[in-house]
Amino acid sequence: MAKRVLIADDSEFMRNLLREILAGDFEIVGEAENGVEAVNLYEQEDPDIVMMDIVMPIRSGIEATDEITADDPNAKIIMCTSVGQEEKMKEAIKAGASGYITKPFQKPNVLDAINDVVPA
Amino acid sequence: MRLDIRELGQFNHLASQGAQRAAASLSQLTGVKMNVEVTDVSLVTDSVLQETFGGRNFVGVSVGLEGGLSGETVLAFERERAETLQKLLLNKAGASQALAQSSVSELGNIMIGGFIDGWANHLHEAINMTPPTYLEAKGTRILPRETLHAASGKGVFLFESRLEAMNVDLDFSIYMLPEYQEFVDLLSRSPSEPAIPANKLRAFDGLAKRGAHRAAEQIGMMTGMETTVNISRIRFVPLTGVPAQVGDETMVGVVFKLTGMPSGYLVILFDERSAKSVASAMMPGGMQEDGIGAMTEGAVKELGNIMTSGFIDGWANVLGTSIEHSPPNYVHDMGSSIMSPVVSKLGQRQDYAFVIDSAIEMGGQQGHCDIYALPDERELAKTLSALPSNA
Repeated sequence: MAKRVLIADDSEFMRNLLREILAGDFEIVGEAENGVEAVNLYEQEDPDIVMMDIVMPIRSGIEATDEITADDPNAKIIMCTSVGQEEKMKEAIKAGASGYITKPFQKPNVLDAINDVVPA
Repeated sequence: MRLDIRELGQFNHLASQGAQRAAASLSQLTGVKMNVEVTDVSLVTDSVLQETFGGRNFVGVSVGLEGGLSGETVLAFERERAETLQKLLLNKAGASQALAQSSVSELGNIMIGGFIDGWANHLHEAINMTPPTYLEAKGTRILPRETLHAASGKGVFLFESRLEAMNVDLDFSIYMLPEYQEFVDLLSRSPSEPAIPANKLRAFDGLAKRGAHRAAEQIGMMTGMETTVNISRIRFVPLTGVPAQVGDETMVGVVFKLTGMPSGYLVILFDERSAKSVASAMMPGGMQEDGIGAMTEGAVKELGNIMTSGFIDGWANVLGTSIEHSPPNYVHDMGSSIMSPVVSKLGQRQDYAFVIDSAIEMGGQQGHCDIYALPDERELAKTLSALPSNA
């Protein structure tokens, strides 16, 4: 059974790109444009994995991760970011992120990151 | 506040590495091989921003920075380049306008992220980025209003990385404008020598501009041509990047060695057509010479002598020092080949240089002249430090 993925990114372009990369191997259960939508969709869909952008309007990916993992400590969240700053990564891990991947994506990197967090 | 020149060099180096990462991201997304030509930093005023951005239509991506460094970063593409990028990114017909804008915004976000990473790690502090904002504007309106306001006051530091695409017309620049006072604070945390008082750098910029205007006046007097100083700014640039900045076009000009305080080099370059135009204008009956020959050489040397005196005399007066220049060393070669020996001599003592870069237009479209002054940075710092506050 295909793993269920929630995509959270304020960029339509990046959501499309991730959708194309994951198509066939995963089931996309929802797409969020900000941290608030991500939290709501997580509660509704209970996905296996969340691909979470860090920099988003209204509520950042780190804040959303913090909120999701407070309710579900087993949530598997992969931070997707153009920001490779060590401090930001530490903050994300502290908030409960399981891993991270740096934009721009290539399919093998995305699949490796997911397999590291949720082995097939 | 004294600006640590080594620290400024370090920030420039990190920005250059960031630009390399940004170029790699762009290459990965579009499949177009990109090279970073050079990264430099200038303290610029509103008039320089006007010269840099004026009259062109831009598509931009703006990202706000908070935390280790505050300010606004803008990635600006000329509209035609942005359209090329959108086609490369989407690579399919019928994509919506919103998706096209989103693709450019995200590209900007990724590239700017790569750009500031090194700075954040250097500061051991996170730099928070706001979500990217897509912009379309003409001229300086692509820049944040606060930046324009600051530029009309103390000036703003403008980091510029020029990216060159292979095989596609996609060259563009990344502009980064950190908040002035915060950046000055960063450069003044524990200044080691050589260090330059922040307020004196602006004074020196004014001095350089006046020098460029005097040099332009000398051209006008010698040739009868109307002259305009198009660009005059001080760039802080890695010496190794200077030849690339001047480019590979064949140039005619003169190189002067400066002695005194500060010592250094002054290079005056004309493209071949401009050299012939000024030489011809300097001869009472015009010039009877095919190509670039002895008559052009003589005219350019003479003009260079006078321009150089005009350029540096004002410096010496204001700085209260004496600056002499050597006889003109005539050069006729690719711009980069002319600059290479100059920077290699300066490079024995320093890795970066404050390059005073002035462009003069002559007689409308008839000619163009570039002046590059490269003072010894330690001597420049020492001289500027001694400059009275009201200079």
